[in-house]
Amino acid sequence: MSTKEISAFVMVLSAVVISGWVAWDAMGNGVAATAAEAAGKMVWAIGYSIVFNIVAVIVGVIVVSVARREEVKDERADERDRLINAKSMMAGYFVLSIGVLLVLIWQAFGLAANHAPYALFGISMLAGGAFAVSQIVQYRLS
Amino acid sequence: MGKGQPNISNTIRSLRFHAGEMTQAQLAEKVGVTRQTIVAIEQGRYSPSLEVAFRIARAFGVPLEQAFQYGETE
Repeated sequence: MSTKEISAFVMVLSAVVISGWVAWDAMGNGVAATAAEAAGKMVWAIGYSIVFNIVAVIVGVIVVSVARREEVKDERADERDRLINAKSMMAGYFVLSIGVLLVLIWQAFGLAANHAPYALFGISMLAGGAFAVSQIVQYRLS
Repeated sequence: MGKGQPNISNTIRSLRFHAGEMTQAQLAEKVGVTRQTIVAIEQGRYSPSLEVAFRIARAFGVPLEQAFQYGETE
């Protein structure tokens, strides 16, 4: 397993953990009262997600290196990596554009303004997850 | 794409064997790709670009057709 695959696994894990945390917070403490407050919370959640990703990739590389008894080194991306990345970007972009469209339609039909940042955050996590899952699948198949 | 599936096979495993059991990592370094890419090419899961195909053939000092073969399966 390369560092690129480890990063993809971590990205999926991060999307699940951070989305779960946001959902748990919304159910426990209630949804933010205003759109500005909700957007602020989502910005913090994205910040936590970035920190989670960095720490989890480092831990993942150490764990895999220990399990293999061989250091996992980050190799420079080659043409196959770039092709897989481009295909996965397309998958993520597709999910993001459909998701944003659905949120806009939902808002046109009355989604409360303070709920919209949650919906957009969910879509961005879903798109990131789709990108990472697509990478994992393609690294296994191609 | 027309009838049948394009089918690119290769003899990299055999060429590595005849090159003094060259490892996949050594070939990857010579060609300038990752070891995972060499594994994927060798197993027929990934068809390399023309440039990488030429670099692989050159690494063994053989013509391209000896490293890669193209056929069409119905």
